[in-house]
Amino acid sequence: MSLLSVRDLSTEFQSGGRWLEAVSDVAFDLQRGEILGLVGESGCGKSTIAYSVMRLLARNARIRSGEVWLEDVNLATLDEEELQDLRGRQISMIFQDPTTALDSLFTVGHQVIETLQEHLNLDPAGARQRALELLRQLGIPAAEQRLKAYPYQFSGGMSQRIALAIAIACHPQVLIADEPTTALDVTIQAQILQLIRRLLVDEQGTGVLLITHDLGVVAQVCDRVAVMYAGKIVEFGDVHSIFSKPLHPYTQALLSSLPSKGIARGRLENIQGRVPGLADRPSGCRFHPRCPQAKAVCRERVPPLKQVSASQEVACVLYD
Amino acid sequence: MSSTTNGGRPLLSAVGLSKYFSLETGLLASLRGKAATVKAVESVTLDVYAGQTVAVVGESGSGKSTLGRLLLRLLEPSAGQVLYQGADIFGMNRARLRAFRRQAQIILQDPYASLNPRMRVGRIIREPLDIYGEGSKAERQKRVHELLERVGLNRNHERAFPSELSGGQRQRVGIAAALALSPRIIIADEPTSSLDVSVQAQTLNLLSDLQRDLGLTYVFITHDLSVVQHISDRVAVMYLGKIVEEAPTETLFAEPKHPYTQVLFSAIPLPDPSRRMNWDLPKGEPPSPLNPPSGCHFHPRCPQAMSACSHTVPRFQTVGRDHGVACLLYEEGVN
Ligand SMILES: Nc1ncnc2c1ncn2[C@@H]1O[C@H](COP(=O)(O)OP(=O)(O)OP(=O)(O)O)[C@@H](O)[C@H]1O
Ligand SMILES: Nc1ncnc2c1ncn2[C@@H]1O[C@H](COP(=O)(O)OP(=O)(O)O)[C@@H](O)[C@H]1O
Ligand code: SF4
Ligand code: SF4
Ligand SMILES: [Mg+2]
Ligand SMILES: [Mg+2]
Repeated sequence: MSLLSVRDLSTEFQSGGRWLEAVSDVAFDLQRGEILGLVGESGCGKSTIAYSVMRLLARNARIRSGEVWLEDVNLATLDEEELQDLRGRQISMIFQDPTTALDSLFTVGHQVIETLQEHLNLDPAGARQRALELLRQLGIPAAEQRLKAYPYQFSGGMSQRIALAIAIACHPQVLIADEPTTALDVTIQAQILQLIRRLLVDEQGTGVLLITHDLGVVAQVCDRVAVMYAGKIVEFGDVHSIFSKPLHPYTQALLSSLPSKGIARGRLENIQGRVPGLADRPSGCRFHPRCPQAKAVCRERVPPLKQVSASQEVACVLYD
Repeated sequence: MSSTTNGGRPLLSAVGLSKYFSLETGLLASLRGKAATVKAVESVTLDVYAGQTVAVVGESGSGKSTLGRLLLRLLEPSAGQVLYQGADIFGMNRARLRAFRRQAQIILQDPYASLNPRMRVGRIIREPLDIYGEGSKAERQKRVHELLERVGLNRNHERAFPSELSGGQRQRVGIAAALALSPRIIIADEPTSSLDVSVQAQTLNLLSDLQRDLGLTYVFITHDLSVVQHISDRVAVMYLGKIVEEAPTETLFAEPKHPYTQVLFSAIPLPDPSRRMNWDLPKGEPPSPLNPPSGCHFHPRCPQAMSACSHTVPRFQTVGRDHGVACLLYEEGVN
């Protein structure tokens, strides 16, 4: 059984009296001890998937259909109380802006210890002990003093470590990380990614859904990748296959727009235009107005995600 | 474009440029019980030649934006000079400064924050022309249309408000406004950092086209080394207010000398899963510029630190053709 299994998820937002779909029939599985990357340009629906799984959607949003199985429990059908019980304990999330996870009025120690007491039924001394252990594991120097500090006294990187400490305090099986390092400097980003990869995934077997628009981050830490375009997964597969042999024209375009070694000072390939808004999703293959290989049929046919090799699935008429 | 200093005089140079901010009021001062000083930029010397792109890279808080603002005299320095065609911009009278400001423009990181939300695009682009009283009203209007086209927008965008545009389109508006007065040099402070890779690629291409067609000179401030390699002729690496290494781009990428530059390179996530990083990372975080480490500022994090590094300030010196570095490993008689 997969650890997390998302089936035919569609999520919509109410806007100007209409319900508009932001995520359309998305399906994927997350295994224990793997990092699954979710990539795509801004507005493709990555965060909406994360919030749907966590059931932390905005007020004007709803899951129209679909199932979210955490082992044998369908999160989509739980009530708020049951969900609260699972969040933090079995499934946790960290965000791009780590300060959102921390309350500025309380010391960091208070917040970490409270979470631990609540979820692990520890007494205050035991929770404190565990908090210190966690902070040390996450490479936070002078952990004793740090517990007494307030969030504003922390750098972005330090806050993200604390947010990570709170998120993983109870050994959740699943961690959803939405752009966890986007706001950080490269050296700090590398430290946080290393923690997620080594400590959480390789040592503790956590399954991580890593949302990012940085293809370098994906290549460095993910095992498998889902590429999203305009609310749909258009390509899915093993990270080595996706980077060495991208099949979908959108994946190809994303990869070739990277300014990386070897093409110094040439023109960058690029995709014209941008991701359409929710009200202007094109017919057929949603990428067709920007696709350099589009054919007449692409306007009408919605290509389904199809397995094209042992390690890759793609949704494009070129592979029908 | 050649990356040598081609003999002539630089278009713009910083000479021993420093900017200290004193934080006398507010929370920090009350916590510390005294005025604290941030050495945001410390003794920076940098030459920018016409038609070239010089990249300034470093982590957040390293002083890049402060340097950029000093280069345009948007801030007054604590020490040092900025020479434009040999004349110190801090010694210029109002008329000469006004003339300088026509020729030197800035593009900012966040196209969401840097455009006036209540002005329509046409007005934003026209404003510099209005301020400098360029041409007749009809000529200014014509120039706005030219500029829109030049940056890949169209006349429909003229009446739009910034909120109606995408991030990439807003950045184009910022670029058009910077181009309005036909400047010779543009300081671009993280112009693509808030954009998606696809839009970033479009913007970088636009900046290269403009450089080729208009002979522009760029100082390109960024924390993204992959962008640096793509766009710049020379690179200056900053750490806690100082330039620690400077070299032609190819040289710097082929042979980074300063341990901090090496660490920065090793931390870039390459988009290639067959070349995964060895996670040989520096410990700790950049220290606070309020209380920088003694000696070499990098010594607490430096994998190659020696005992001298905690008390000796390294001098910036030449280590190869056009290649300078400030590190005791390269100083005679220290190690
Ligand atoms: N509360 C909301 N109300 C209406 N539309 C929304 C809301 N939240 C998101 N959307 C829309 O849903 C789509 C997907 O948004 P989402 O935030 O999931 O994208 P994303 O892929 O995470 O983008 P980014 O990379 O910018 O974080 C976008 O078109 C967005 O404008
Ligand atoms: N107006 C200011 N007052 C006080 N400190 C400042 C001011 N502007 C910048 N600084 C400080 O100077 C240092 C360099 O900042 P900055 O030039 O913005 O760096 P970068 O652009 O490299 O991130 C930082 O420590 C920053 O907090
Ligand atoms: S289905 Fe057609 S438009 Fe869509 S990606 Fe494939 S070729 Fe391009
Ligand atoms: S001077 Fe010393 S501490 Fe500084 S970079 Fe060189 S070796 Fe490292
Ligand atoms: Mg998002
Ligand atoms: Mg800055």
